[in-house]
Amino acid sequence: MLYKLIKAERLKLKRSPLWLAFIFMPIIPALLGTLNYKANIEVLQSEWFSLWTQHTLFTCYFFLPIMIGIYSSYIMRQEENNRNWNKVLSMPVSKNLVFIAKLIQVVFMIFLSEIWICTLFVISGKVIGLTSAIPCDKLITWCLFGTLGGSVMASLQLMISLFIKSFALPVGISLGGGLSGMVFLAKHLGHIWPYSLMAYGMNSNAPQELIKSGYMSFVIICIVYIAIFMITSSTILSKRDI
Amino acid sequence: MIKLIKCEYMKTKRKHIFLTAFALLVLMGMWAFYGTSSKDMSDFIRQNGYTMFLYQFPLVNAIFFPLLCTVIASRLCDIEHKGGNFKLLCTMVDKGKIFDVKLIYGLTIVISGVILFWVLTIVYGKIVGFTEAFPINNYLLYLLFTIIPTASIYIFQHSLSMIFKNQAIPFFVGVIGEFTGLFSMFLPQFPFLRKSILWGYYGALQFVGLFGWDKQTRFDNAYFGVMTIDWPAFALLVCLLILIYIVGKYIFSKKEF
Repeated sequence: MLYKLIKAERLKLKRSPLWLAFIFMPIIPALLGTLNYKANIEVLQSEWFSLWTQHTLFTCYFFLPIMIGIYSSYIMRQEENNRNWNKVLSMPVSKNLVFIAKLIQVVFMIFLSEIWICTLFVISGKVIGLTSAIPCDKLITWCLFGTLGGSVMASLQLMISLFIKSFALPVGISLGGGLSGMVFLAKHLGHIWPYSLMAYGMNSNAPQELIKSGYMSFVIICIVYIAIFMITSSTILSKRDI
Repeated sequence: MIKLIKCEYMKTKRKHIFLTAFALLVLMGMWAFYGTSSKDMSDFIRQNGYTMFLYQFPLVNAIFFPLLCTVIASRLCDIEHKGGNFKLLCTMVDKGKIFDVKLIYGLTIVISGVILFWVLTIVYGKIVGFTEAFPINNYLLYLLFTIIPTASIYIFQHSLSMIFKNQAIPFFVGVIGEFTGLFSMFLPQFPFLRKSILWGYYGALQFVGLFGWDKQTRFDNAYFGVMTIDWPAFALLVCLLILIYIVGKYIFSKKEF
């Protein structure tokens, strides 16, 4: 049933040009981050690690949160238009599964962005002639944990879009969330705040932080958050008259 | 025209549009003034506070004002798209007039936000006790160099939101533009980058620089200086603003709903 719901979600998004933004957006930090790295090469001496911070710093705090906010808002809005919620919720499927299908759609997009960010990162490094070996294992870890952290943000944004019917307001909230994520990371509380988890997972600030604190606690926190937002959302869908 | 503006106000009643703008400004204030409260202020900041704001705030403006423009423009236009109201409206009022009225209404909200933040900056400086004499001429120039880029971004976002029914498109375009603009401020060695996109003009029109700072001496020899103002860039921006308005209005007027 879940597979069918995911397929339905994909059908709803067919011919929607939104995926283009997720592909186009990471090109900007890749280009400009690399230029910035080249311009400050005397300060940024950790080669691949320094280049990674240049590529991901603004992306994690400002732009991916906003992109996730827009995407989540758009997915929920499709149901709000033309009273589609009435049709969706009258189908013999669990409310939880409806939410999970939407979440999987956003997570898939985040995962694609992460892979694209990593690809551009490797290409940039090679083009500017970084001589040390590519940190492949770390790159895979950052990519997977970034997706997991992003999933928390996606589930929260989907929940917010369920509460607020406006398209723009949840996007504004996602910007506020991204900024708050930066503050929580600066106060060393990045591992417990939903909006910091993606930047924390991608190690956009300090490539050694996650390794020190351990992967397990990060995964547990992410799963707990996703479960909380999912249960709350399906409860809203079951109880509230949409 | 006044009647139509009143209609816009009625349509946005209970939509919390002003509250949305205010909330974004509060967030902006918290971000901008962080670390400059009386207790954690150094002597350098106390003596140069107002000029320091002129140096720091174009970056803050480049993050928040474009987003404010995108949110307000989208919310105002979405009301019409959602109910398929353009079909009805265009039978009663000229399309160009609808475009103008919505633009005036939204632009008033956004520019009020810019002015409010400008006033707040001055009041904040007085409250925390900056000892520097208030540089009124520089602040008026700064206000002009904030209003014009914000207005041109708003007109651009407004045109996109009016033309596209799917509001995700103006949002994505806005975010990508903002991202490029923000990055361009960290690349002073490529000045053309700032002038090639609307979002980069907050940086292109920045006229206060920090000089004499280095890792060893830090702020010991540091000072803020007024740089040459890039008036050709300003003129180019004004031309772009007019061009975007004309093109946006033309496309909207030709569009079938």
